[in-house]
Amino acid sequence: MRKRLKTIDAIKGWSLSGGYLVYTAIFWGYPFVWLLILALSKWNYFTPRKFIWFDNFIKLFQDELFWRVFLNTFNFMLYFIPMVLGLSLLFALGLKKVKMFRTFFILAFLVANVSSGVAYSIIFQKLFAINGPLNSITRSIFGITIPWFSSPQLATLSIAMMVTWKFIGYYGLILFSGLQAIPESLYESAELDGAGKMTRFFRITLPLINPSIVMVLVLSLTLTFGIFTEPFLITGGGPMRTTYTFQMLIYTTAFQKINPGYASALAIIVALLSYGCVLLTRKLVEREVEMV
Amino acid sequence: MKKLILLTVFLCLVSGLLGVELVFWTAPNPLQESFWKEVVSEWNQNNPDIQIKWSTIPAAGSSEEAILTSIASGRMPDICTNIFSGFAAQLIEADILVPLNSFPDFWELMEKRKMTSIVESWKFGNDYYVLPIYSNPIMMWWRSDILKELGYDRPPRTYSEIYEISEKYSVPYEKYGTLVVMGRNWYDRWYDFITYYYAASEGSPYLDVEKARALFNNDTGKEVVTFIDTMFRNNWTAVDLGSNPFYFGVVLGGIFGPWEINQARNLFPDVFDHIAIAPPPVPDDYPEDKPIYTFADTKGLVMFATTKHKEAAWKFIKWVYSDIEKDRKWMEVTNLPPAREDLLSNPIFQEYMDENPKFSAYASHVAYAVPPALTTKTVEVQDILTTFLIEQIMYGKSTPFEALSDAATRVRRELF
Repeated sequence: MRKRLKTIDAIKGWSLSGGYLVYTAIFWGYPFVWLLILALSKWNYFTPRKFIWFDNFIKLFQDELFWRVFLNTFNFMLYFIPMVLGLSLLFALGLKKVKMFRTFFILAFLVANVSSGVAYSIIFQKLFAINGPLNSITRSIFGITIPWFSSPQLATLSIAMMVTWKFIGYYGLILFSGLQAIPESLYESAELDGAGKMTRFFRITLPLINPSIVMVLVLSLTLTFGIFTEPFLITGGGPMRTTYTFQMLIYTTAFQKINPGYASALAIIVALLSYGCVLLTRKLVEREVEMV
Repeated sequence: MKKLILLTVFLCLVSGLLGVELVFWTAPNPLQESFWKEVVSEWNQNNPDIQIKWSTIPAAGSSEEAILTSIASGRMPDICTNIFSGFAAQLIEADILVPLNSFPDFWELMEKRKMTSIVESWKFGNDYYVLPIYSNPIMMWWRSDILKELGYDRPPRTYSEIYEISEKYSVPYEKYGTLVVMGRNWYDRWYDFITYYYAASEGSPYLDVEKARALFNNDTGKEVVTFIDTMFRNNWTAVDLGSNPFYFGVVLGGIFGPWEINQARNLFPDVFDHIAIAPPPVPDDYPEDKPIYTFADTKGLVMFATTKHKEAAWKFIKWVYSDIEKDRKWMEVTNLPPAREDLLSNPIFQEYMDENPKFSAYASHVAYAVPPALTTKTVEVQDILTTFLIEQIMYGKSTPFEALSDAATRVRRELF
């Protein structure tokens, strides 16, 4: 009897998870195995594939462009992560204060997140143009023209600003949910103990939203390794290749230079780099939080 | 009655088994789609034994990406259009295309479509694998209304004329003489450096693919880079001017292909009548009586070697391109010049040319429009031209001649 029940349970379990497992095997497992095989091969889509073992990886570390993009990615991170984290936190703190039209503000910021990358890239391109509205303002007030997309450092910053604009609403909501989970009683008792606003923020708010901060950091780190649309459309990787991203390099290598093996090796290294950054961040920032 | 039904079923089965079905892919462009829809349906009605299964190239990041995926999965079409030179070279090198001159009546078709000279630019080794469908000469557009205000009744022709006009018109950070550099993507080099080089050199090649040599580091190349450098150093040109700077008068001139005509007519009707179309600029000593060459943005049709029905596919290709009426229809529907040398001389195209003077300006240069080098390293070469030539000049990082020489060395290394 017990055996029969076990079998029924097993059937139920497999039928519930079966669909997901099949889906994962087809759309994740198969491409993953294929990616590994390709990374160890020389292939151009047409001729038979040839195993070259780790040659693609060796070539990759000697590739000048790979190191250029590597530096670009960390350069982008330096601008993007503090900017997106700071502004999302401000947005979340603001939301907490707002009592009316809260949903309206949330939706207004989330619109940026769901808009098409192509559409807003065109708008920002116009906004940041040498003769665009932003430069008209800076010229009329300060007498200066800012080469947003023409200067190598500023181009990275401009793209970081665009991506920040897109993600403030989304990351802000994550931080907001963290803020909402902090019991008001903690603030009240701290106030009774004589803690000022800054002390309460740094000693209560920030430590207690640590899980949300870690999540935003992890999401923004992985996003940094996945940037494609904005630089591809606006700067084409320039000026002087300073906005060339890993995704652009993988795409052009696979589909324009017709070297899918090298592109796969690149994809694996990028994934490992991204994973390494996430692990490091968690190790450095993540703290156990308990609210009783 | 029973016998009749059986006979019909039998005949249907036989025709189904013996009939040929060809998979045919065309560019995912609404205008081209409407042309092919009609042509394929006409063929299918009249040729029950050879049926064309037509579709546009499947959706992907680019046509090349979709075709590569189909090759990798062994599901490529029999015939495909929208193939650019660099991609064609890669397909040819991989030995997966049928040399079209292997069909005995290939030259007969070339003669009939008046494209014997045009097809020469698509020669690879001793064979012809691509049938060029259309050829878009790249031309300069000028704002004739503003030129008139500045006191000019015709667009500038030489570098010095552009300098003169630019000096009068340019106000830094507000408006500029002309758009000299088209962007920072590798394909932008087709529309600036390569176009200027062809114009200045009477269409001479910029690469010798077989000998792995860069040919542009010469006096002509030096004149071209001096022109680009002069425009940037004097603030007569800029990049990152937002969208459509030409129509808003931010630049007096810019480089465009014929596909822009419809866009200009529909989106900027007020400016449309004030557009003067001219060939790309040439050095001051370029003889006035000589035609000005330009870059051809051209796409062609190929037949994949995996097809089991080469003769049937060729029959279809021949049927489409030996009929001049189809070329006229193509021109009317897509506004792209068919790759033929008789566009201006053949009366069949006359009416359309008279009604569309802007298109006619393009058509007049089809014979002088040169496609890019047939190299498998198109992206790599043009990436080098972007980073080590154009951007160096734009930002004044090195002298134009040094940048030219460095780019040539790097290109040679890449081709080798």
